[in-house]
Formats: sequence, C-alpha cells, structure tokens
Amino acid sequence: MGMFKRWGRFAAALLVAAAISNAWAADAAAPAAPASAPTAEADKKGLDDRIQDVKADVIRLNRDLLVLEEELLFPASTQVAVFVSMDVGKMFSLDSVQVKLDDKIVTNYLYTPLEVDALHRGGVQRVYLGNLRTGEHEIVAFFTGKGPHERDYKRGTTIKFEKGSDPKYIELQIKDSQAKLQPEFEVKVWQ
Amino acid sequence: MRSRDVLRKALRQAAVAAAASLLLGAAVAAEPAAPPHVVQDPHYGDGLFHFFQDHYFSALTSLMVSQHFGRMPHHEDEAEILRGGMLLSYGLHREAGEIFAKLIDKGVKPAVRDRAWFYLAKIRYQRGYVDDALAAVDRIENHLPPALEEERGLLKANLLMAKGDNAGAAQLLGGMTASAGASRYARFNLGVALIRSGDAARGSALLDELGKSPAPNEEYRSLRDRANLALGFAALQGHQPENARGYLERVRLNGMSANKALLGFGWAAAELKNPKQALVPWLELSQRDASDSAVLEARIAVPYAYAELGAYGQSLQRYTEAIEAFTQESKALDESMAAIRAGKLVEGLLERNPGDEMGWFWNIRELPEMPHASHLGTVLAQHEFQEAFKNYRDLQFLSRNLQGWADNLGVFNDMLDNRRKAFADRLPQVRAKAGESGLAGLQQRGDALASEVERVEAEQDTLALADAKQREQLARLALARATLAQAADDPDAQAARDRVRRVEGALTWQLAQQYPDRLWDAKKSIKTITTELAEANRRDTALAQAQRDEPARFEQFATRIPELDQRIKALIPRVAALTGEQQRAVQDLAIAELQRQKERLAVYANQARFAVAQLVDRANAKMDTKTDAGHATQP
Repeated sequence: MGMFKRWGRFAAALLVAAAISNAWAADAAAPAAPASAPTAEADKKGLDDRIQDVKADVIRLNRDLLVLEEELLFPASTQVAVFVSMDVGKMFSLDSVQVKLDDKIVTNYLYTPLEVDALHRGGVQRVYLGNLRTGEHEIVAFFTGKGPHERDYKRGTTIKFEKGSDPKYIELQIKDSQAKLQPEFEVKVWQ
Repeated sequence: MRSRDVLRKALRQAAVAAAASLLLGAAVAAEPAAPPHVVQDPHYGDGLFHFFQDHYFSALTSLMVSQHFGRMPHHEDEAEILRGGMLLSYGLHREAGEIFAKLIDKGVKPAVRDRAWFYLAKIRYQRGYVDDALAAVDRIENHLPPALEEERGLLKANLLMAKGDNAGAAQLLGGMTASAGASRYARFNLGVALIRSGDAARGSALLDELGKSPAPNEEYRSLRDRANLALGFAALQGHQPENARGYLERVRLNGMSANKALLGFGWAAAELKNPKQALVPWLELSQRDASDSAVLEARIAVPYAYAELGAYGQSLQRYTEAIEAFTQESKALDESMAAIRAGKLVEGLLERNPGDEMGWFWNIRELPEMPHASHLGTVLAQHEFQEAFKNYRDLQFLSRNLQGWADNLGVFNDMLDNRRKAFADRLPQVRAKAGESGLAGLQQRGDALASEVERVEAEQDTLALADAKQREQLARLALARATLAQAADDPDAQAARDRVRRVEGALTWQLAQQYPDRLWDAKKSIKTITTELAEANRRDTALAQAQRDEPARFEQFATRIPELDQRIKALIPRVAALTGEQQRAVQDLAIAELQRQKERLAVYANQARFAVAQLVDRANAKMDTKTDAGHATQP
C-alpha cells in the first residue's frame, strides 16, 4: 500500500497545480503560446479566422441593408424620428408611452424593466420612425407609470414643430424636478 | 434525477465563476464612459439603449447605420470605441484591434485613447502576444474609469506573471492591495504571485486572510473556497497535514471546490495515520457524480482506507465494486461520445438554451437531454467549450439573420416597384397643377409691384399710397377743380375754389403724414410676397428636381437591391459550411474531454485491479502461512 500513498501524493501535487492554475484561469484566459501551438491549434485558428471574417461580412451586410431600408422607407426629406430619454427618473417609474402625430396615434409602447433600466443608464430609445410631409405638425405624448408615492401617474406633453426637407428628430424627455419634487416631461426638437 | 439537479447546480456555480472571471478579465465589451451619459446625439443614445440591454447585434448595427449617415458628430470616438468593444465581444479581434489602433493614431482625447490602449492590450494578451500586450498596457496613462483601472492592474500583473516576473507582479499587486477598496481578486492574485515568486510565507498569509474573510455573495464564496483549497493542497505538498485539514475544512461542502477539498481532507487524515477519519470525506465523495476525477479517486481511496484499517474483506469488495462501476462508466462514456458524434449535444444545447441575439453574456445554463448528460457538466463548464459553442450559436444566429433578409429583400423590390408606379402616375399631375397656378405670371406681378414700391419710395410719391377713400376724394377734388375752371369768375366760384384748395391742402398734408407707415406696410407686403414666391419656386424647383432625380434614385435602389441579394446569397452557404465545421469542432472538444475522462477511468481501474491483486496475494500468502502452520502441527 506504500505505492498507493505515493500515488496519492502525486495526485495531490497535481491538484495543487490545478488549484493554482484554475484560480489563474479565473483572472483571465491564460495566454496561449503561439510559437509552440500544436498543428490542431493552428487548424482551429484557421476556422476561428474564417468565422471572424464571415461575422464581419454579415455585420457589414446588415449595416448596408439597414441603410437601404431606411433610405427606401424613410427618406431624409420626410423622415421623422421620435426618441424617449430619461434623466435620473427617480420620481417616475415608466410603464408606457403613447405618441400622437397630428392627432393620429403612431405608437403605444409598453416598457420592460430591462428597457427602463437601459433608459436610466443613459440609453435613448427610438420609439417611432416614420414619414411626415413638410409643414407644421403637432406631436402629443402621454406617459403612464407610477409617480411620487407610488401613485398612478399619467401626464401629457405637446409641441408644434415645422418639418422641413431634412430629417426631424424629436426627443421626449422625462426629467425630475427637484424643486417641485415631481417628474417633468419635455419635448426637445433636435433639428 | 438527483445527478441532474447536482449538475444544474454545478452549472449555475460555473456560471457564477464565469461571471467572476468576466469581472476581471473578459468583460470585453467596452463599457462607455460612466453614467450619467450626457447624450448629445440621440442616435448615439439609441445605440446605448440596445447596448445596455445586451442586444449587441442591434447596438452594433444601429451604431454603424448612424455612423454611415453621420448622425453622431458629438460622439464619434465614443461610438467607435463602443463598436470596437462589441466586435471584440463577438470574437472579431482583428477588426477590433484595427479600430483601437486607428483611434490611437487619430489622436483622440486622453480618456478614449487610454481605453483604446487598454482594450488593445487585452486583445494582445488573449491572442498570446505578451510583450506587445505589456507595451500597450504601459502606454495607458491615468484616464481610465476606476473599474477599468483595477482591471488594468490585474491585466499587467497577469502579463508579468506570464513572463515569469512573479516578483514584479507581486510588487504591482502589493501596491494595488494597499488601498482599502482593493478587490479580493487583486489580493488572491497577489497571494498566488508571492507563492510563485518564492515568498510562500507572505503569500500563504494573504490567502489565509482571504480564506477566512466573510463573503457576501456566491462569487466571493467561490473565491474564498479556492484560496482555502490552494492553501490546503500546498500544505499537503509541504507535509503539513494538520494545517491542510484546517484550510480544507473551511471549504464549503456544496461549492465548486468541494470535491477536491473532500479528497484532500481524506489524504490529510491518511497522512496523519488516521484512515478511519479519512473514510468520512471519501465515503461522502464516492457517492458524488463520477464525472469529477476527485470522485473517481475517492472510489479507490475508500477501499485503500479499509485496507489500512485491516478490513481487507470490505476493501476487496469496494475495489471490485469500483472496477465494475468504472467499467459501466466507461461504457456510458462511449455512448455519450456516440451521441455527441450524432449531433445530439449541439441540438440539445440549442434547444434548451435559447436566446435572441449573438451575445457575450449568454451562457449555457441547461444540460441537453442525452442518455448520460451528467458527463457533460465538466465539458460545458470549460471556457474553451463555452467559447466554441458561442461561436456555433453565433453562426446559427447569422444564418437566421441572413434568411430573414433574403425574405425581406423581395418585399423591398415590391415596394420599389409600387413607388416607381405611384411616382410615375402622380408627378405629372402635380406638375400640371403647379403649371396651372401660373407661378411665372405671379412672379412677374410680384416683381412689378416691388419695382413700383421702389419707385414710390425714390420719388416719395405719397399719392400712390392713398387708400380707396382718399383716391375717391382726390377724384372728386379733380372733378370739382375742372368744374370750377369753367365757372364764371364770380365771388361764389372764388369761395368754392378756396374751399377746394383748402381741402386739397388738407388731403396732401394727410397723405404726407401717412406716407411713412404706408410705405413700411407696402414694403412688408412686398417682402412677404417675395418670400412666398421664393418658397413656391423652391417647391416647384424641388418637384422638377424630383422629376429628374427620383428615377435615378429608383435606379440606384434597383441596382443596390440585387447587389445586396447577391451578398446574402453568397454568405448563406459560407455560414452554413462554417456552422458544420464549428459543430464538428465543438463536438471534438466535448469528445476529447470525455476521452480524457475515459483514460482517467482506465488509470483508476488499473490501480484498483493492481490493489485487488495485492489483496489477493496477501490473502493467499496468509492462507499459505496458515496451511504451512497446519501441516507443521500435523503428526
């Protein structure tokens, strides 16, 4: 049985190495050694390289297709985009937004907690993309959610704007008014 | 069923460990500057909106579209570094590297430049270019956000250790851990670096401190277990079984390090000549899932302990059971490998682990339905396998994405045809209406009026600005004057002439007084007319332009759509071929691991057979001795 013990010790030594290298692996992927990489590794890198190429090609193709889609469906001369953003937003917990353009409902959007979180972190959501002819228009937005003290809260905001021949970007901003301890809803027309 | 639950648990723990490693090394996607972000271009915010939901594909493509249209002038560099980070998360090291290098060359602001160097260093490290990575990390100044600052320190320490400069790494980490907010990972790595650099006492003390500290979450508990495990096995190696027991008993019984700790705990007892005590952890361990080598080792460590206790019968029985179990397990492994070769692993994994997009944070959480799914726990927890499977899954996503576009492109074609038709039908009508409105005539009239107002102003022609009543009065006065001119020169006529002169004087005075206001009104009206005429002309020109340009635009779409269609069609088979290759690569990785498990089984089975032979020899020898003694006592 002495042999057994030696073998056990050997295994223990192996485990020490494993313990340390495992710990090591958690810090970052252990650096590969390109010079001593075996042939199988080289083959795999070949595959990895080709996958990189195809991913890059598909991503570029998606960009070109999305550009085409936008130019075809929402030409610059008529394009209007409506965005929703949230500055702090502690006084208002957003549930949904309804947007009307010239008295016609163009979107009713219900938010998931993940989306609300993304807005809190500085994301700006493009809630509507459409077309409008040049001239004067009116946008009305209704925000529904919970206001201070967990009360149901619904507020509207509106603005008239002039649509020219360039795309129009309108941002619906949800802000906290520290002075009033109430949320505020504003519309910013970008261009 | 029980083993599945155990495995699920192990996978969850593996996911936590993976999350821990993400915190340190691999949180590749470049987090933009710390919130709150002052978004100056809404389209950049739109990219962030997707990014913060881990919808990297949407974030990446929407940012690229906005870059194409030049809609993010205020966030050009941030958008580019974010794009580089996301490409990196998809494994596009080359392209990401080029982006970061370009940003540096471009001379971007220090905060962006430092992040670019940081990610470049990371890419180089991951690709194994240690010297280049070190050079990059040394270019970073002091503009990184705090979270990345610590990561930079850890990265540099890892690089130094990779170059064998453990003392340098220890010095660097020592500096990092001096601050109160230093992470446990920095302290853990410092402990490892110190032991490696030969300062075992300080390294052990540091790990010991970490091994005793309270841990608020699974991630830290797991790290604490690993510190204790490393200490325990180091003590075993240094022939300090008492110390080893102390360290190892701190390891949780249900964590990822539990099996190794139980095994080591048993060996520590065995070294202390206490096989009975060794049996306690080994018996527990031998009941656990056999895909772990520690469990396999326990299955032969148990009979070894029985033999040490002199319970040779039990020992022999346990060895025989172990050999039988190993044989069964080996067969099961063969079945698993056959199932993997038949494609059941990737199918099952995809089925049970769905997800919307290509994603860095996506993890395998559910084992596939397979005959011996428990074999796969170790395989699936491996970083290399996870990465390879992620690539496979990405390719599947790309395939669906391309298929979706292939279907949509037909719709684009129809839409284009409709547009063309509507345009061809409607434009002539609109142009005809514009012609009917007599814009040219209106323009002439407008111009004439403008010249008239100019003349009135130049000549101060107050009469020209008389209103209707005044014009009537002027006409009546002229008539009266003409009548009086023919009248006799009598006193009545003279009086009437005087009256006419006075009224004329009053009217002239009135006109002169009202002239400035009226001239201003007239000029204002001319301005309005000019503006409106200009707008009408602009629209007319735009219509004329559209009539010329739109057909060209339609033609351009008509060229682009088939070109894009060609690209889609060329990519679909490429993606399909690579998917097949990657599936084989994924399967090979899994099979290689199972093969290793099988080889380990064979080694353990041989050990067991050898031990059985020794036990049998020993029993035979004993019997021989007894028989000899019996013979000797016979008369």
